[in-house]
Amino acid sequence: MSGTKSELAAFATDRDEVIVRRQSRWKRVAQDRSLYVMLLPVIAFYLLFKYAPMGGEIIAFKNYRFVDGILGSDWVGLKHFRLLFQSPDFWRVLRNTLLLNVYSLVLGFPAPILLALMLNEVRKELFKRVIQNLLYIPHFISWAVLGGILIAVLSPSTGVVNFVLERVFGLEPIYFMASSAWWPAAYTVSSIWREAGWGTILYLAAMAAVDPQLYEAAKIDGAGKLRQIWHITLPGIRSTIAILLILRMGSMMDVGLEQTLSLQNSSVLDVADVISTYVYRIGLQNMNYSYSTALGLFQSLIGLILVVGVNRVIRLIGERGLW
Amino acid sequence: MEYGHKRVSPLSLALRALNVVLLSLCAFIALYPFWYEISASFSSSRAITAGEVSLWPVEFNTVAYERLLQDGQLFRAMGNTALVTLVGTLFNMAMTVLAAYPLSRKRLLGRGPLLLFITFSMIFVSGLIPNFILIKSLGLMDSYWALWLPGLISTYNMFVMKSFMEGLPEEIEESAAIDGAGNWRILVQIMLPLCKPILAALSLFYAVGWWNAYFNVMLYITSSDLQTLMLKLYQMITSVDPSLLNGGGGSEAASTVVLTPEAIKAASVVVAIAPILCVYPFLQRYFVKGVLIGSVKG
Repeated sequence: MSGTKSELAAFATDRDEVIVRRQSRWKRVAQDRSLYVMLLPVIAFYLLFKYAPMGGEIIAFKNYRFVDGILGSDWVGLKHFRLLFQSPDFWRVLRNTLLLNVYSLVLGFPAPILLALMLNEVRKELFKRVIQNLLYIPHFISWAVLGGILIAVLSPSTGVVNFVLERVFGLEPIYFMASSAWWPAAYTVSSIWREAGWGTILYLAAMAAVDPQLYEAAKIDGAGKLRQIWHITLPGIRSTIAILLILRMGSMMDVGLEQTLSLQNSSVLDVADVISTYVYRIGLQNMNYSYSTALGLFQSLIGLILVVGVNRVIRLIGERGLW
Repeated sequence: MEYGHKRVSPLSLALRALNVVLLSLCAFIALYPFWYEISASFSSSRAITAGEVSLWPVEFNTVAYERLLQDGQLFRAMGNTALVTLVGTLFNMAMTVLAAYPLSRKRLLGRGPLLLFITFSMIFVSGLIPNFILIKSLGLMDSYWALWLPGLISTYNMFVMKSFMEGLPEEIEESAAIDGAGNWRILVQIMLPLCKPILAALSLFYAVGWWNAYFNVMLYITSSDLQTLMLKLYQMITSVDPSLLNGGGGSEAASTVVLTPEAIKAASVVVAIAPILCVYPFLQRYFVKGVLIGSVKG
């Protein structure tokens, strides 16, 4: 009996607490009304410009025509996806997207690490700062400009690169931008050109956090510069490398649209056409709205899976995830 | 303690020297293309086409710039770009602050679901076509609103600002609240002044983004009066002389295309990057700070 009583009492206090908490909850909301007012335009923005287009993805399952509207167009189920997976174009742009990413990963990912290691060894602070700031510059230049410059510099008839190859090495001019063999190389170099310097920032910050006493100890033990780099600097930035590498894996389905468009030309489409440029060409120039939305949706879904996987891996290795 | 410093082996001296040389070479390679364009813009088109320009202008002249000034189109496009950049960045900063401040308050009820709502839009990115249809349905085609509105907030930048605000000491805000200041006043009079470094960094990132973008302009802006600088440049390079790509000049196909002379192209490139190169030395430290603040959250 007494047990029930106390249980009842406990229940009562629980309920009171809930009521009190609920009241204070609403009080808190009321007090912070202004915070919600601030968020109103923000929520409106996300609903209209992020979530509404997600809803618009349903045209991948319809035969969209602008006059019918999204809701008025006929459902066609998975027709566009079937067409897509049967089309050789799909496999071509998928292959190109992945290949360009692999090249950029294999060659482009180590580039800033190497640069940062070199910068970190510079004794003269001023020299280091000047070089750093010079290397950051390409990051701030539009792809429209970088593409134009690259085409000019790599041109077989007037470009400086071919000029040097011809005069110094006696080679025949190379059609960098117009040959399917060379274009991916030019693309990869352009990525490194724009991002390698900028990419050093996080590595340099991680290197600055390495305990200088470790280097002193290594010196006393007779370790040379290269061994110090191998045994102290690199382990010191290991977690930064790991995180950035994992993050990079999350964007394996993306190829910079502006970069690719500005470097692309009709003679290299077999290697230079990627998912995003293909969607643009087929979707907006040829007005195959539904078909290209199906491809875009495929890309978004793979991207979603990659990012969720990446987040899980980052958490597994004990770092703070993206969310 | 000190004996490690005394002797420097010849090998490590050589490595140090090699390092300096290699780094200088990297910087040279990274910047030479820009230097080439500057030299070319002051050279004669003949010298450029003959491949005579390498380091310094050949047959120095300013004809290309005079032609650009006379024509005026490029500078009009530059004015448009400046307008897009200025207004776009102002909108960005206002919206980013409006999102970041409330979301950085841990007491905010419903903060978790709101963050999820926003994060999901970052990891599931809707495709090009649905976005295009949306802009078209909203009747925004051929107006700068088509650029500004969908780009109001970069979620990544917003999270950077949010984590910066979370890192500020809470006591300051609490004492202001006790003095009876409302959230708006706390935001404007206390938070924003404390956020100056991140406000500077993010507005620069936004501004560079607006200045450099061309794809969205290509999609949504159709009248030539509204064209922006980077789109003009993009069109210039994609209408490239086939002989530049394929070697053997003077083919029949090439002669039918109206080509922009090389010197004019180079001068346009210089005009497009000059503003960035001019402000860069003064602003670069804010950029670096912005990256480092952003990386704290990962």
